[in-house]
Amino acid sequence: MTNPLGAWRLPLRIARRDALRHRGRSLLTLVMIALPVLAVTTADVLMQTSNVSGVESIDRRMGSAEALVSVQQGVDDVEQSPDPDGAFGTSGGDGESPLVTAEQVSAVLGGARLLEIREGEAEVRTDKGAVTAGLTEVELKDPLTRGLYDLTSGRWPQDAGEVVVNEALVTRGYQIGETLDRPGAGHVDPVIVGIAESTTTRDFPVAAGPVGAFGLDDETSRSWLVDGDPVSWETVRELNAIGATVASRAVITDPPPVSEWPDSVQASAGVDDATMAVLVLIVVMALIEVVLLAGPAFAVGARKQQRSLALMSASGGTPVQSRRVVIGSAVVLGSVAAVLGVGLGIVLGRLLVPAVQSRSGEYLGPFEVPWQHLAGVAGFGMLSAFLAAVVPAYLASRQDVVAVLAGRRGDRAPSYKSPLLGLVLLGAGIAGSVVGATGGGEIMIAASAIPAVLGMILLIPLVLAGLGRLGGRLPLVLRYAVRDAARHRTRTVPAVAAVAATVAGVVALGIGVTSDEAENRETYTASMVDGVGVLTGYETPAWSSYRAVVAQEAPDAEVTDQLGLAETAPDGGFSDTDVRVPGLDYLLDSSGSSLGATILVSDDRLPYGLLGVAEGDVARAEEVLRSGGMVAFTSPGIEVDATEAKLVRETYAPDGGESTSKATATVPTEFVELEKPWAGPAAVVSTAAAAELGVEPAVVALVIGKDQLSKDQEEAIDEALGGVDLNASLYVERGYQADDETVIAQLILVGLGGLLMLGGTLTATFLALSDARPDLATLSAVGASPRTRRGVAAAYAVVVGFVGALLGAAVGFVPGIAVSRPLTSQNYGNIAPDGTAQFNSGPFLDVPWLMILGLVVALPLLTAAVVGAFARSRLPLVARLD
Amino acid sequence: MSAVLQLDTVTRIHGEGETEVHALKSVTFAAHDGELVAVMGPSGSGKSTLLTLAGGLDAPTSGTVSVEGTDLATLGQKGRARMRRTSIGYVFQDFNLIPALTAAENVALPLELDGVGTRQARALARVALGEVGIAELADRFPDNMSGGQQQRVAIARAVVGERRLILADEPTGALDTETGEEILRLLRSRCDAGAAGVLVTHEARHAAWADRVVFLRDGVIVDETGADRVEALVDSGATR
Amino acid sequence: MSVRQALLALLEEGPMYGYQLRSEFERRTGATWPLNVGQVYTTLTRLERDGLVTESGADGEGHVIYEVTEAGRDEVATWFTTPVARTTPPRDELAIKLALAVTVPGVDVGTVIQQQRSATISALQDYTRLKRDRRDTTPGDLAWTLVLDSLIFNAEAEVRWLDHCEARLRRAALESPAAPLTTSADAEERTAR
Repeated sequence: MTNPLGAWRLPLRIARRDALRHRGRSLLTLVMIALPVLAVTTADVLMQTSNVSGVESIDRRMGSAEALVSVQQGVDDVEQSPDPDGAFGTSGGDGESPLVTAEQVSAVLGGARLLEIREGEAEVRTDKGAVTAGLTEVELKDPLTRGLYDLTSGRWPQDAGEVVVNEALVTRGYQIGETLDRPGAGHVDPVIVGIAESTTTRDFPVAAGPVGAFGLDDETSRSWLVDGDPVSWETVRELNAIGATVASRAVITDPPPVSEWPDSVQASAGVDDATMAVLVLIVVMALIEVVLLAGPAFAVGARKQQRSLALMSASGGTPVQSRRVVIGSAVVLGSVAAVLGVGLGIVLGRLLVPAVQSRSGEYLGPFEVPWQHLAGVAGFGMLSAFLAAVVPAYLASRQDVVAVLAGRRGDRAPSYKSPLLGLVLLGAGIAGSVVGATGGGEIMIAASAIPAVLGMILLIPLVLAGLGRLGGRLPLVLRYAVRDAARHRTRTVPAVAAVAATVAGVVALGIGVTSDEAENRETYTASMVDGVGVLTGYETPAWSSYRAVVAQEAPDAEVTDQLGLAETAPDGGFSDTDVRVPGLDYLLDSSGSSLGATILVSDDRLPYGLLGVAEGDVARAEEVLRSGGMVAFTSPGIEVDATEAKLVRETYAPDGGESTSKATATVPTEFVELEKPWAGPAAVVSTAAAAELGVEPAVVALVIGKDQLSKDQEEAIDEALGGVDLNASLYVERGYQADDETVIAQLILVGLGGLLMLGGTLTATFLALSDARPDLATLSAVGASPRTRRGVAAAYAVVVGFVGALLGAAVGFVPGIAVSRPLTSQNYGNIAPDGTAQFNSGPFLDVPWLMILGLVVALPLLTAAVVGAFARSRLPLVARLD
Repeated sequence: MSAVLQLDTVTRIHGEGETEVHALKSVTFAAHDGELVAVMGPSGSGKSTLLTLAGGLDAPTSGTVSVEGTDLATLGQKGRARMRRTSIGYVFQDFNLIPALTAAENVALPLELDGVGTRQARALARVALGEVGIAELADRFPDNMSGGQQQRVAIARAVVGERRLILADEPTGALDTETGEEILRLLRSRCDAGAAGVLVTHEARHAAWADRVVFLRDGVIVDETGADRVEALVDSGATR
Repeated sequence: MSVRQALLALLEEGPMYGYQLRSEFERRTGATWPLNVGQVYTTLTRLERDGLVTESGADGEGHVIYEVTEAGRDEVATWFTTPVARTTPPRDELAIKLALAVTVPGVDVGTVIQQQRSATISALQDYTRLKRDRRDTTPGDLAWTLVLDSLIFNAEAEVRWLDHCEARLRRAALESPAAPLTTSADAEERTAR
């Protein structure tokens, strides 16, 4: 070969013509490879478009200024990356240094003009209650701010009494001319004079006005927009030195090399290893799947070309040249598919941008085509086509030329080496999963799924051969399908493998997801008896207005007051009450204020809705309450041999710190061991015991009787409460509620798996049918009815689907079970008495049998039905070789 | 005049043990330049085996096969492939052509496989097609040609690049007698022009086009006609 | 083969004298069946007697010219439209020889067949050689190659019949190994085992 490219000219020409001659098969292969490329391209384009990069967001952040400088109290040294929002930097200081002033900043910048900008958040009253709005104070008339907001109607504010708001606030009831109404005292409510959209956020309420309009303070941090000359990296570093963080237009647009970055931020420039590992895993898995899906097409293509290849051999072609012809078709189809996939993906992405924008709260960046990524994606498509053709090409180059020329067909006998290698790989995969399950982690398990799947693929020929031998008693069409599948392994194996790999993945993920779900269900801790509702407040609860809301929305509900030791005070302070018994570190693993407070008060009955108190303990508990003592709950397994306990109550000021007062009381106590852990109170005390502690019992919650609130009523009350008091909340115990996301994940899994399975089976079946034309012609010649062809088609689909699903499910169990262990085991660092680490819960294992049954039995049958329905029933009359 | 193809006590056994089949037993056979030799025999007599051995597509169990004086056993798989590109041309019964290539490209195939530039190979192929009388069909695909035309293309491919040995396996089998005769006439004329030809057939009428007819029975050459004429040619050192 | 009808057919193309008729016949059938002048004249006399030809004078050199009569034309038409009857097969020496070889003990039938086949194929090669040197450029050439083809196909049929005989004999030998029938190939096969 004189010219290395010249050696490819002939194979590529044959491949190109062959692709045009067999349009159906070419199209099928094209779709198989182009679809994933298209999907990834579309996703990438949309991601890159919705992802607003540092450069794209410059105007959003600093308008038309040259830089945005921010300083914080207590910081006098900053290390930042060129784009301070892009990567974490560090800041240092003793916390005492005074806030950097505008003069200091301006001095470093050579006297550049600074425009102060203040940002904050506050509650804004709306028709339905209140929302949180983003507030900005900046002189909007200044041209430096152009790019921060787009005025859509009205005018810019003239003084501190005027503001603009965005559409999100208009839809909540505000209009030009009204005042912006903020709850609480001490505000001058400004007048709305215009409507302006923030260039950043779309559906978050935003208001902006001149400095002073909202009364935002500048005591802990300050920011300025910088006018004048571009701010260089050197200047940024100088500003860093006095404690300012700088986003400079010039630096972000043209960042300095990483070597000039401060040491502490250089590390953040790379991608971390775990992310990389996951990425590689995903790419490899996807590659395997695509290769397997496209594999049968190339196998059949090579089969159809076998006479051509034999003729080439007879004309002096070497095995390498034969291989190139088959690989050539992969190169031709792969590149067309890659280009087509990327092209259509970009178009589809462009068409989908409006749809994505309508679902996104932020404004998307400009439409962006990430050519570098897409080159990789296209390369992936070509690589998958190439890999799919490698095995058929290798087999084609090894074919028995004499047999082919004599018109005999059939693959060579399977070698014993590859199943052996398959067993080794499968073993390695299982071993890896076990290691991963016992401490190696999820990535290890996912990684070992790859050798397991590859090993399984190598074992498929053996399984098919075995089936072919066992198929003697099957009815004709099934027997034919089984034998044919076993004979033509080069096309059957990738098809079965594609189905198997899909099913393995779905089963593994399915087991993981359902086990996770099982863990959530098993470890769910109900706060109270099923069906009971509790309404709680905070700081200054207005019980009467809460009761009115409930009465209005659910007139029939029975509402009782629950007394307890209040934990929050109107001034923002809080208190904490603890039950202590000498010699014991703790009585309860967990307790909570699900019934309004950790310590409840009652003089006769136990509070309504308590869960996990044994029947036998109730009388004992109520007895002690009546006699002025208290009931203390203990975790399962903790028995206390005492008759009294100490109550310790500490009260704190709103800003925390040391407790301001501490009261103790020792009270006669009955200890009640709970049946299971809970989030309920630590103790119930009598009024007398509370008095001994010096606390007046107060209403801490409204308890609504069992099953008296419907879901609709619950939602209505919730919404109404929002208008009355943002701190009020209603909780109705309804037992464990399966997360919507889990159900959706399972549905997506089954749907995707089914789709891939259907695709794999359908391609394989139709390719097999086109390959089996001469045989079908013979069948028709001996009097087979047209229905037989449908039957053969359906039977073939059953064989491919069923064998694949069964093998896949079997292989999928290994990583599935393995991954469920680390996924569902929780260790909070507890140490058992013997010194070993103790799992608080788990591992949990729940196999989604119904889903697996559906995949293994229902889907192959469904596929067979589809194939049977769509296969042409007309038998070919002429056997034609080509 | 020398032997282009020489088989020396060649034995070929297929299979092993119980299923052992002796396809050829100690066969000695030669084809000289300018000579067309027909090999006749019923199915299973070893005709086709002889041809595959001659083309290096198969290797003998014992004995030697030489083409143009080179023992094929001394060449590797690649060397034998090169032999087929440069010295040996095959013509089969049917489906001789690669459907994805035009007539000219099919003829140019051995040349291109041998690394000859596309343009030059195409030009040589057109000349070869002209010699078999179908220059005007150069750009047609096999699908659009009659069986006879396809066989002409196959013969052109078998001789292109001055190859000296033509191996034809029932080349007229799928054709009617008239067209078949044209193909034999063509084959004959290529041999008259200096090539050595081996024609495997089970039809006496076709074998009669050969200078010499060799009869194969159960892998053994049992008889031969026309040998005297060839020997006379060899003796006189006559060349055509 | 009927010389009578053949001469009538030639005369239908135009009046000819005896020697002319002979050379025309041989030109068309390629000297396959030689015809002497005496035979031509005897036949012409009989044809004249039966009223199928008449003398139409003589040419300058004194040759008697014959021409076909109306009855003669009818006879030619009838001949061309009536197939050649196969009711009485010509006596075939080869068939008789083989039939005897099979029944007479001590004869190696295989050798008989192979020798005959070689001989027939040699003849076939000769015919083919004659044929391949000619191109069908004139109607006369075409007539000649068609006659050659007839010989070729007959010879081929004989070879095929010989192949068939051989196959039958071998099968018979396989079915009753004790039978005295042997062929050379069988003998070799036995020694090979």
